Amino acid sequence: MTDTRHPLTWWIWSIALAIAIARGDNPWLAIAVVGCAYLVVRTFRSDAPWSRSFESGLKLGLWILIIRTSFGVLIGTPIPGTTIFRLPIIPLPEWMAGIRIGGAVTQERLFSTAHEGVILASIIILFSAASSLTSPHRLLRVLPFAIYQFGLALVIATSLVPQFVRSISRIKDAQYLRGQKLSFKKVLIPLLEESLARSLDLAAAMDSRGYGSTRVRSRYRSISWNPGDSLIVAAGALPLISPSLILLSVVTPFLLIKRRVVVPIS
Amino acid sequence: MITFDAVSLIYPNSTKTVLENLSLTIDEGEFVLVIGPTGSGKSSLLRLINGLVPHHTGGILAGNISVDGISTQLVKPGGLAHLIGIVGQNPVNGFVTDTVEEELAFGMESLNIAPDVMRKRVEEILDLMSLAPLRDRSLATLSGGEQQRVAIGSALVMHPKVLVLDEPTSALDPIAAEEVLSILHRLVHDLGLTVIVAEHRLERVIQFADRIVHIDGLGNARVGTPAQIMSDSDIAPPIVHLARALGLEDVGLTVRDMRRMSEQIRGGSYSHSIEKLVISNETVIEISDLSLSFESQSVLNDINIKICAGEVIALMGRNGAGKSSLLKTIVGLHKATSGTVSVLGNNPLTISGSKRRETIGFIPQEPSDLLYGQSVIMECQQADVDNEIEEGTTFELLSELVPGISPQTHPRDLSEGQRLALALSVVLSAKPKVLILDEPTRGLDYQAKSHLISTLLHYARVLGRTVILATHDVELVAELATRVIFLADGDCVADGKTLDVLLSSPAFAPQVAKVMSPQPWLTVKDVINALQVNQ
Repeated sequence: MTDTRHPLTWWIWSIALAIAIARGDNPWLAIAVVGCAYLVVRTFRSDAPWSRSFESGLKLGLWILIIRTSFGVLIGTPIPGTTIFRLPIIPLPEWMAGIRIGGAVTQERLFSTAHEGVILASIIILFSAASSLTSPHRLLRVLPFAIYQFGLALVIATSLVPQFVRSISRIKDAQYLRGQKLSFKKVLIPLLEESLARSLDLAAAMDSRGYGSTRVRSRYRSISWNPGDSLIVAAGALPLISPSLILLSVVTPFLLIKRRVVVPIS
Repeated sequence: MITFDAVSLIYPNSTKTVLENLSLTIDEGEFVLVIGPTGSGKSSLLRLINGLVPHHTGGILAGNISVDGISTQLVKPGGLAHLIGIVGQNPVNGFVTDTVEEELAFGMESLNIAPDVMRKRVEEILDLMSLAPLRDRSLATLSGGEQQRVAIGSALVMHPKVLVLDEPTSALDPIAAEEVLSILHRLVHDLGLTVIVAEHRLERVIQFADRIVHIDGLGNARVGTPAQIMSDSDIAPPIVHLARALGLEDVGLTVRDMRRMSEQIRGGSYSHSIEKLVISNETVIEISDLSLSFESQSVLNDINIKICAGEVIALMGRNGAGKSSLLKTIVGLHKATSGTVSVLGNNPLTISGSKRRETIGFIPQEPSDLLYGQSVIMECQQADVDNEIEEGTTFELLSELVPGISPQTHPRDLSEGQRLALALSVVLSAKPKVLILDEPTRGLDYQAKSHLISTLLHYARVLGRTVILATHDVELVAELATRVIFLADGDCVADGKTLDVLLSSPAFAPQVAKVMSPQPWLTVKDVINALQVNQ
């Protein structure tokens, strides 16, 4: 497996970066960090199903940015400045004074909402970077027994999500071949039934293999903390000292790239 | 080893008892086969053994079940993990980790077994199940047979005394199935493991069984040796039907026994009047130079096939040989990388709506993908409306296929065979020119299978439509197909009349052909016909 980092490493790294972005409050820097994080994900992820979660995180982040910005422009207190365009004002009852829907859209207002949106989206994208770099199953092993039920739910959810995506496309295909126009309901009903059946199957399998029947679990492969992990975590912590070091912390993981030995297939 | 003492089981919100007053004892080192129609409670019986029923599913259980002296009423399934290994119908659904090695270790980690013991046992199992070359592979990339072996391995690694398997070969091609079953056989004989298997395809397992539990679906169960049960069971492999049809005194359960018993019949010389099938030369599907690849991995190479009206084509080959990909390209889900597919002159990628329904009918591997109605009747009405046919036509069609389905039933509550019939009648109500089925017999019992066969034969022979099916089920192919196309690694390696293709490969030959070799007979009907003609 290419995945040799400790399961907590990338999570610590990305949480530290997220904190730095939130503190730094600079959208351009946030975009640069997300860009570098994308390169890190491209370099270090395996071909496992969860490694695609970065792309979903990216989509989610963009949606949040779009929705937040449009709401921010439509609703809220006016900020004076250069007017770009005007929207009709929708009259509201008197007790809602201070809130306005529509009105002048100023450059300043657009920028400030977009700014907040970018920061929020970047944080979400950074989390998805961590989840696409970490096997949820390995993560589960380092979590304490106290959250066993949570762990069970986590494994079921993480192994179901890729299944979910595959099932959706399978069901959509089948409905299309039946000559049906696609609708939410036609996909949702078979999907829910199947997912429910699958998660029951998985829970039954885990149960009958003794999961959670003893308080202590032994480890087949001990999950060890390597110098590489320390390097990444230290790099992630750099911007907490000084925000200007943030780009250094996104670039550091690349030091760990090993030259791949290509074994010719005979 | 396992004792069922007056066990009755009823599920909540159900008026039907699954089991009624069942008592049986399974000794150590026995290979027990559980048979019965779909929905008769075979899975429930298996899951009772480690307490998944009722601990996990709910239900009222009367009587007592004990395994190695431990009553399942007092212990949860997790508490029996060291004693009983259970492998579900679909092993992929039960995988918890990412790689083969981790999956094998998972159960031992849960039981807090020391790391050095684990290492040793994992190595043992890797050798025993011939999984050593796959140890670091991601589970998602394994073939069906390999996945099944990992699932069995991860149960065995706990050193259980009992191994329970629910339809272990239903998704496997004949060779992979043979491999899995011979491993089980070896475990029983070498380690004295007690094995309990539920399976529909008796032709694959019956020769390994020491005893059979036959459940009839009404709560009754019969237990006996294979010879006892097979002497009058309605569920029987082709070989037993052959023995009955030939009027032999004993039923032979293996090809070897039957060959000994049928030496005289087989030895005679027969004039082979091969029944000429009238197939029009109207080309329905034309595939030329078709290649398909996903992300630079080639799946199909240079396929050239011409299919005429009235043909029943069986697409065979190993798991992962490209059968489903070819079907999906024909129906228009995959875009060919190069080459063309035309169905009645149309490009399947571009047709939609009612024209699609009337041209190609497709039954996917999971027939329930097509269904979204809240009841059988709603599903049928929807099909009537879609196809602008008289109300009730679809339901009538369904009642012909499988009589006695209540119109108010939810599709989910139907048995596997009934659900397939519902999907089939919805698709057939549009009277498509081409009908395509992907693995239609998975999980079907013999009765449902013979319904399916007669429906498809009628459709092809009487109405002159084309049927294409991808399947691992050689017996189905022998009964149904006029032509077999054999795929291996994306290449078309054989394409010819069913008789020629099936007889040329021993692994893919149906049971009757193995017994009657060198006579060119594939089914019991073939044998009887030949004998009558030459009397």
